[in-house]
Amino acid sequence: MSHDTILSTKIRRRSLLASVAVIAAAAGVSSLGVNRAFAQEPEKPSEIIVRAWGGSWVEALKAGVSDSFTEMTGIAVRHDLTEDNEIQPKIWAAVAQGRVPPIHINWDTTTNATKSALRGVTEDLSDLPNLKDTTDLAKPVGLEGYPIVNTYGYVYVLAYRPEAFPDGPPKSWKDLLDPKLKGRIALYNDGIGFHFPAQVAGGGSLDGIPDDMQPCWDFINEIKAQQPLLGEDPDFTTWFQNGEIDAACTISTNAREAKKNGIDIAWVVPEEGAKFDTDGLWIPKGLPENELYWAKQYINHALTKGAQQVWLDGLGLPGVIPGLTPPADLIGDPSYPVTPEQFKHLIRVSSKIQVEHESEWFAKFKEIMQG
Amino acid sequence: MRAPRAQYPLIWRTMDALERFAELVWPSRFQPGLPYVMLLPALVLVGLLVVGLIQIGDASLRTLDTKTFLTSENYTLANYQRVLTEGFFFKVASRSLMGALIVTLVTLIFAFPYAYLMVRTPSSTLRKFLLVALFLPFFIGQVVRAYGWLIILGNQGVVNDALGLVGVSPIRLLYNYPAVLFGLVQYMLPFAVLMLAPALTAIPSELESAASSLGAGWVKTFRYVVLPLSKPGLIGAGLVVSTLSLTDFALPAILGGGTQDFIANAIYDQFFRTSDQGLGATLSLMLVAVGSILVGVVFMLFGAGTLAMGDDGK
Repeated sequence: MSHDTILSTKIRRRSLLASVAVIAAAAGVSSLGVNRAFAQEPEKPSEIIVRAWGGSWVEALKAGVSDSFTEMTGIAVRHDLTEDNEIQPKIWAAVAQGRVPPIHINWDTTTNATKSALRGVTEDLSDLPNLKDTTDLAKPVGLEGYPIVNTYGYVYVLAYRPEAFPDGPPKSWKDLLDPKLKGRIALYNDGIGFHFPAQVAGGGSLDGIPDDMQPCWDFINEIKAQQPLLGEDPDFTTWFQNGEIDAACTISTNAREAKKNGIDIAWVVPEEGAKFDTDGLWIPKGLPENELYWAKQYINHALTKGAQQVWLDGLGLPGVIPGLTPPADLIGDPSYPVTPEQFKHLIRVSSKIQVEHESEWFAKFKEIMQG
Repeated sequence: MRAPRAQYPLIWRTMDALERFAELVWPSRFQPGLPYVMLLPALVLVGLLVVGLIQIGDASLRTLDTKTFLTSENYTLANYQRVLTEGFFFKVASRSLMGALIVTLVTLIFAFPYAYLMVRTPSSTLRKFLLVALFLPFFIGQVVRAYGWLIILGNQGVVNDALGLVGVSPIRLLYNYPAVLFGLVQYMLPFAVLMLAPALTAIPSELESAASSLGAGWVKTFRYVVLPLSKPGLIGAGLVVSTLSLTDFALPAILGGGTQDFIANAIYDQFFRTSDQGLGATLSLMLVAVGSILVGVVFMLFGAGTLAMGDDGK
């Protein structure tokens, strides 16, 4: 399927039926958007399967969205904790072979989800009634329509152990070059979250992305000399907990979770800025029509204020529905941006640009770090 | 007089029926083909593997279009060119090969005395203890064992705690190349011992006694009797350990701190991180090729060892 075809959302029988059902549901009175009086309400499946990240991530989703969805519809929600990177080829293969995909809803990074959208394996979600209540953040940048619905944003902060910074919090990503931090810092093993601030810290400008990233690579080369550890979300918490590292570029949720676990940890958005990105929900193609309908209802429910409030309280992240109350510990925190002033310090690059260049950035990062 | 039917037991009649059925299904004239029929399941399995390899080969000749995340329709050698020219892949491949070599040598050095003692000890208690100690790790998966090493060797682990007692500040024992090799040696040791033990058992102990009675000391006996005769076991164990080490994924990932990738980690990254299945397939095929060449060279130079299954070693 060509790129143009994917983005131009052809009207098909399944889409049409699902759209009619969703529009009819929108005319109802329930906050879920499901009109129980709607005569043609499709048959309910016994369960729907939502891929999720484990630990506090899935607990927050369960508390905020899944439990209340089950309560309202009677449909059980099963959380599949397969890694997002690993479910992707399974979905792609299922769609290519005309099989029913292994999950109903994928909770995914927007970057990863964009790959699936470009490949044409995502259902269009433009007809979700609750989209009208969302902020611009819900709309994936660089894609037509809503092959993904972004559900919240997050910041790759500079998390640190205050004990290791007796003179005060780090102000710049360049502070990671302090010799006393040699072997005591950590980054994601694909460099995600670090490329863009590194571009600025290396003396470049964001306008240089993606064509002139040399300042980014120069800075990462300097960081390499600091012998950073490279890992994934759970590693950062473990490393902080075990005293292996003093600072890391990580998602604020992980830092907050570590803090909740009793680790003395704080975080900042350094002066060069920090990467701001989004996660979202999407539905793979190939589901039976009734299951597609209820999967859409799940996402629609995730866009209600009540569900967002509980879900994102758990994650400590800003949602896409106006008027959410930040968790008490994150009021005014740069990792929970709500004001234009706070957003000014954050770096957001289109997912489309990111996925188109991810492979080369990844290879370059690996080349430097494994060299 | 005709014997009553009751004297012909039911079980015999059943066996007769089964024999007639077997004759019907597989007449005796087909008997020479029986071994080939028994090979069939193995051939099907190998056939599936070959089909998979053909598909991987096909994928390796297609590049990823990052505008659609679909692979190209046309065949190209671009992925092979990337693998052969980009420094990152050379670095990872050389690290894997060097790692496999070091792990094989160190594992054999550790495994040999263990296997020798296990085979030669007159104490059945000691033999049982060594066997239990050998098999126990098999009940613990590779990943769990790796996490065990994180607990033991971490900055706040047992080793650093012990060093702290004598005033030594914590040392970074993990997340480096030696840590990966250490983990691999510990993982491979039982495989090597199990491959060496039959070869050592096959050496008559009388040969060692004879050497000793002729005046050879322990070192000479080992050098001129035990070592040459255990060559098949050493080759078999070496091949198993080197190929498993070369293709290992979990230990470099967990004990390497993300900076000590082996080829398998690079393959994972291409399939699951960058979604570039063509490049992942290329790396996979090249890993198969390197492993096969390695085994082929060893076969040519030293024979197949115990893997020759009772052949003359060639």
